[in-house]
Amino acid sequence: MIKKAINSKVMIIGGGVTGLSAAISLDALGIDSIIIEKNSSLGGKVKDYSKIFPDFRSGKTLVRELIDKVEQSSRIRTIVSASVTSAERIDGTYSVQVSDNNRYNVKAIILTCGFEVFDARLQDEYGYGVYPNVVSSLDLEALLEAQEKKGGMLLRPSDGKPVNRMAIIFCVGSRSKRLGNPYCSRICCSYSTKQAIEIMEKNPDASVTCFYMDIRTYDRGFEEMYQYAQELGVKYIRGRVSECSALPDGDIQVRAENTLLGRPVQGIFDLISLSVGMMPCADAEDLAGLLGIERSDDGFFTKKDKYFSQHDTVQEGIFLAGSLTGLKPIKDCLLEGNSVSGRVAAYLNECK
Amino acid sequence: MNASNMNHREVKNIDYGWRLNGRPILFYKDRSLAADESTHQMEKALRQMSMEYYALDRCLQCGICSSFCPNNLINTADSFSPRNFIQKTRLGLLDLNGDELWMCTNCGHCQMVCPFEIPLLEVMAGLRHLVVEKGAGHIPVSIKSSIASISFYGNPWKEETSSRIKWIQGMETAPDVATAEETVHIFLGCFPAYDRRARKTAEAAIYILQIAKIPFKILSDEEVCCGDTVRRVGDFATSEKVKNINKANFLKNNVRKLYVLSPHCLSAFQDLYAKENDHQIRIAPLLELVYDLIGKGIIKLNKYQDKKVAFHDPCFFSKHLNIIAQPREILDRMQGIERREMEHSGKKSLCCGGGGGGIWRDAKKGERLSEIRLDEALDTGADIIVTSCPYCLSMLEDARQADEKYRQVEIMDICELVVKGMCDENN
Repeated sequence: MIKKAINSKVMIIGGGVTGLSAAISLDALGIDSIIIEKNSSLGGKVKDYSKIFPDFRSGKTLVRELIDKVEQSSRIRTIVSASVTSAERIDGTYSVQVSDNNRYNVKAIILTCGFEVFDARLQDEYGYGVYPNVVSSLDLEALLEAQEKKGGMLLRPSDGKPVNRMAIIFCVGSRSKRLGNPYCSRICCSYSTKQAIEIMEKNPDASVTCFYMDIRTYDRGFEEMYQYAQELGVKYIRGRVSECSALPDGDIQVRAENTLLGRPVQGIFDLISLSVGMMPCADAEDLAGLLGIERSDDGFFTKKDKYFSQHDTVQEGIFLAGSLTGLKPIKDCLLEGNSVSGRVAAYLNECK
Repeated sequence: MNASNMNHREVKNIDYGWRLNGRPILFYKDRSLAADESTHQMEKALRQMSMEYYALDRCLQCGICSSFCPNNLINTADSFSPRNFIQKTRLGLLDLNGDELWMCTNCGHCQMVCPFEIPLLEVMAGLRHLVVEKGAGHIPVSIKSSIASISFYGNPWKEETSSRIKWIQGMETAPDVATAEETVHIFLGCFPAYDRRARKTAEAAIYILQIAKIPFKILSDEEVCCGDTVRRVGDFATSEKVKNINKANFLKNNVRKLYVLSPHCLSAFQDLYAKENDHQIRIAPLLELVYDLIGKGIIKLNKYQDKKVAFHDPCFFSKHLNIIAQPREILDRMQGIERREMEHSGKKSLCCGGGGGGIWRDAKKGERLSEIRLDEALDTGADIIVTSCPYCLSMLEDARQADEKYRQVEIMDICELVVKGMCDENN
């Protein structure tokens, strides 16, 4: 049952940082837009990050700034807790049915549905979900935020003991054909290094050990952050951890190989954080079917051309932006939100 | 291979591709840092030999496999790491005369955890093949003699084929009324046929079948080695030879349903015969039949003595074929038996050291995986270690005989335990 039909220029599916950035840029160009967000609040994954790299500003503040701009604009309409149920294109206009029972008529659609975090339970050697002191990097982010608020030490979940021996395991759910994600998630090395720095800065007596396979701090400022972490005393051991096992007092024992020395290593830690990788968003398959656009074997959406039409899809009037075409750091997502608005403005101009 | 070799090395015109999914994606002439002519030749030979070798190229050198490799638990000077092995091999630096090539017991744990699913056991077989059949290196003497014996006698111990089932005569029960479809065939395998200890497990298995009134036939003295282990040590020709003998034997005997005692035989038949299983033989482990018979109540289990029992998972069941729950269920059905789990169990079980030709190698006392396994069993306080593989049985039994401290545990095949726990009313 359709309550009413609403006309606008652009629909943005996904209210994360990319979607918000795109809406703000469209607003600056004088173009109306509607943001459809499936969760109850805007801001996507970034609103849960206490600090973002490489400049350690707060993820919440960043999202707040974006949302403020969106709310101040009269051209942006936001609909939360809603998802797209069907879409059809008639005479150059997309008629989109949304789960709030309204029908939206728009000229263009920007897809910014983002990514999903890997469920660390699937890599069962590490005991995530079984041992309370094995946490994911998102959980660690929450623990770090709690520490920030209360002050004092980082406390571990099982018994509230201060964390002095910390291990971070990289590449959980990334670079594994067995788990279905053979690609590198690109940003885990950097965010884990950021977390290691946060722990070391608060507690210089702590020891933080990172088990990595290859350090890929590829962007400007990321490598410097990695070097700073090493200056602070974060230990980097090259080798994928084989197994985590819990000791009676809640400590976690880790077995790995130091592949640079070719020697087995064992360690006991208060807390283990798993740097989980990322996957295409859970709705990717549905949305691709609904809108008739293509995805590659890895599940991410395919650009029409990797060089010349970065935002276009095979369907005219549907554009892509953000981490749904491949994982990227927050600043790149904001940039893509910005650039897709330019592409959409040009497209709307052509349509006239 | 020294520095002077590198300086004076002439770049030869050897082109070999680096392939992705079988397609050459780029060609170049040099890959190895310390490459001299022999490493070039070795790498070239390996690459021509098998596609599996190309799988080594996708190794990330992450090292997740290394901590799982059972060889890590043995305190030898030259510790073995699958990661290091791959790195050496793909640079053409593996010493084919050394011991390293023969340390792998084919338990398959590395393959199971590998993020990129590198078929290391296939690579291992391929490398050993180079040594065994192409003469690229030194074969350990005991393995050499076992291979020769299988090739000439059809078993690893130079025993007469005719004595293979002499002890079994008169024990078969396949009444004339039984049709070919009803009759099941049993493939004993070399161990139960010749080894006096392993023979007891076969006798127990036969007793179970007799009680259950299953019409069965034991393949006649034409049966030869299944060819699994001989393939895994690299002798593909002998493996092929025994395979064809067995196949002809199956055809001649009109085999429909074949039960095997050893997981190694099962692996051979599933892998080797799968492609050319032209007359549809159903091959299953005897464990499955025993499990079914107990499940259907045809074999009734009574109270056995109050014993603590630890199940030692054969790698070829647990890791290769995912048969983990069935033997444990059988144990749980026996009253009086208290099942204990060892430190490594189920999919993560520790290898006995017998697979992949390990059974033919002479590991020194104190360097045996079976001893570590027995220590683990002692830690659980078990009275009996139950297993379901003639190799495991033999390896564990040998280690037990060699040391006084292990005498308190008993080692049994699951069929033997089932026979001990069977009700009187069955008889």
